[in-house]
Amino acid sequence: MSASGPRSVRRPAAPGSEAGSTATLGERSQAPPTRPLVALVGPPNAGKSTLFNQLTGLRQKIANYPGVTVEKKLGVVDLGDGLEVELVDLPGVNGFSARTADERITRDVLEGRAPGLRAPDALVLIVDSTRLEPHLMLVEPTLALGVPTLLALNMADELHARGGAVDPSALGEALGVTAVETNARTGQGLDQVRRFLRAVAERGPLPERACPAVSNVAKGTPLPMADQFARRRRHIAELTRRAGFRAAGPSALTRRLDALFLHRVWGPLIFLVVGVVVFQAMFTWATPFMDGVEAVIAGSGEWLAARLPESWFRSLLIDGVWSGVGSVLVFLPQILVLFLFLGILEDSGYMARAAVIADRLMYRVGLQGRAFLPLLSAYACAVPAVLAARTVEDERDRLATIFVAPFMTCSARLPVYALLIAAFIPERPLLGPFMGTRAATLLGLYALGVLAAVGSAFLLKRTLLRGEPSSFLMELPPYRVPSLRSLGLRLVDRTRVFLRRAGRIILLVAVVLWGLTQVPRVDGGAPPIDESALAAAGHVIEPAIRPLGFDWRIGVGLVSSLAAREVIVATLGTIYGVEDADEGSIQLQAALQRDLDLGSAVALLVFFVFALQCMSTVAVVRRETGGWKWPLIQWSYMLALAYGGAFLANWLI
Amino acid sequence: MHDTRTNTNRAGRELRLAQIGLHEEVELVRIDLPDEQAEPLLERGLLPGCRLCPVRLSPAGDPVVMVDGTLLALRRETADCLCVRLARGLAD
Ligand SMILES: Nc1nc2c(ncn2[C@@H]2O[C@H](COP(=O)(O)OP(=O)(O)OP(=O)(O)O)[C@@H](O)[C@H]2O)c(=O)[nH]1
Ligand SMILES: [Mg+2]
Repeated sequence: MSASGPRSVRRPAAPGSEAGSTATLGERSQAPPTRPLVALVGPPNAGKSTLFNQLTGLRQKIANYPGVTVEKKLGVVDLGDGLEVELVDLPGVNGFSARTADERITRDVLEGRAPGLRAPDALVLIVDSTRLEPHLMLVEPTLALGVPTLLALNMADELHARGGAVDPSALGEALGVTAVETNARTGQGLDQVRRFLRAVAERGPLPERACPAVSNVAKGTPLPMADQFARRRRHIAELTRRAGFRAAGPSALTRRLDALFLHRVWGPLIFLVVGVVVFQAMFTWATPFMDGVEAVIAGSGEWLAARLPESWFRSLLIDGVWSGVGSVLVFLPQILVLFLFLGILEDSGYMARAAVIADRLMYRVGLQGRAFLPLLSAYACAVPAVLAARTVEDERDRLATIFVAPFMTCSARLPVYALLIAAFIPERPLLGPFMGTRAATLLGLYALGVLAAVGSAFLLKRTLLRGEPSSFLMELPPYRVPSLRSLGLRLVDRTRVFLRRAGRIILLVAVVLWGLTQVPRVDGGAPPIDESALAAAGHVIEPAIRPLGFDWRIGVGLVSSLAAREVIVATLGTIYGVEDADEGSIQLQAALQRDLDLGSAVALLVFFVFALQCMSTVAVVRRETGGWKWPLIQWSYMLALAYGGAFLANWLI
Repeated sequence: MHDTRTNTNRAGRELRLAQIGLHEEVELVRIDLPDEQAEPLLERGLLPGCRLCPVRLSPAGDPVVMVDGTLLALRRETADCLCVRLARGLAD
């Protein structure tokens, strides 16, 4: 085979007819592999994704808690001179017992059993050198795979700062592997990693072979498992001692901050204060920016309207698109403030402490403390949260976590909440300058979501998913100062996601709805909105939502928001944009105040707290649970709760 | 510290991790759990023979232990299944 000789690596060719690698499935098996595959293996939070991003230029999610990456991710490393390797970032593993869904992904890739992916031709084992000895337990099982391996001793900066020292060449020699010191954050030591990858690229992909299974301990040995672990551990202690390794001392910063954040009284108090500060900031910090965005959208709309001749096209652009998409765009600053705080919490290491504080509650509910991290990430979006539930060990607990994750308030609900709160809740100070009525209402809505999640999990664990409460075990990472760059990138990425949604699904819905307001034509022009096709469709739904205090406009909004929650804001923007077309820029809040009373506004909020209006979530739940059963139960349950809750709210207020 | 007083009658005896005070260094003797449940502990460095030290209690009273340079948060139900012996007692 040409691929096995040196210098034989070529740029990827078009898929040829040669039936190549048989170990892989899918279209890749058609072409002979041209780029070797290198896998990044290592314990959780060792810096795999950081290194991956440095080498490939991609932007995998990075955060300072274990279990961030839960899916394999491919990237290409350009090594110059036309040399390339394919790099795959993997979920972190503490060992190879493959107990959780994410650990199984790592195992499958290493064993060459991942669909569509060849077995790796080389490995980079990346460990945290401040926890060197326990992490070196992975060396033996990894080397047993028999492919060229580089050992990256990451977090060199922290090791040295905490008084530790390691001689990579001596350690590598003792372990029988090439070892280099790296700092994946700054890129120190990366040239040595690239040198290794270059050698791999020059050698080209390995020939076809049968991959051995990877496991913690050799199968079929009479020694109890604990003893085998202990023996390996003693061996490592002996090797590191001979290699002159000096372990890092405890981190003084971590000790001091933990004394505060895990304090019996201060800990939970700070936990609450953090929450309050985030919500207040979402209003006070974001408001000037929101006013700015609003002014730009309104100004540009008016500017356009003045320049375009009176036509259907102007109506589509101004009343449909501008008022529809524009009314959602206004909420970008608020979402960015939320993500800024989430970013600080995730990058600093506080998230893992929050999980510890919440663990007892999780225990009472019947869930694993681990499940808290996916649930927290659901504040951004339920989709990654459902994926992150892979880190939950017990299958029943994983299902319960997936089931309740959409109750946590995702950022797509934020525009709906913020719009209604601004329209119906007057701002008054509550806790002096610290919290106003609006932030308190928002906090209340988030709390209602948490309550629903907790209550539902409690019920589930006692009915459909009965089981013993499992253990909680979590590594607490050291605190780290979040880098401005990584926080900035998070905001940029979030803005991009938000704009993409606004430019696709929200734009599409706005255009379609606008179209429905224009037919049937009356005297060659648009009909009064109450006689349009949209209103006709809305009136069909109206009887069902009358008891909640909603009219046909909200009904149309509820249906269109099945696609994505924030679409209701765009829908209302378009409907009122067409309806009040002569008033220039629309005042969505004023229009809502005209058509809803307080009771029905609260009912609408409650509806959004509970209902599962998100196609992406339904799709990902189907994929992660392997069928329609769970997404259907979940969707109906949440809808029933939403309807009941909204009915009650409208009736009470 | 209170070591001198307690060590005389506790040294060398097997205790449960849950009975150990903060900042007392102990050696893990045995994990009283089936292999299934012990493996995640073993993978995270809680091995027979390792030194560990409870450094903090969570607000709800669950232990956070330092083992091999790693901070591990446990539930007290798990800590109750860890058989330990005081490290000082060993050295004597
Ligand atoms: N000080 C320091 N921090 C680092 C270094 N490498 C990574 N980090 C930080 O360590 C944390 C974890 O990094 P990730 O890249 O997400 O770790 P991972 O191995 O991908 O973790 P999982 O996806 O959970 O398995 C982040 O906060 C990084 O900023 C390093 O060399 N030095
Ligand atoms: Mg990662």
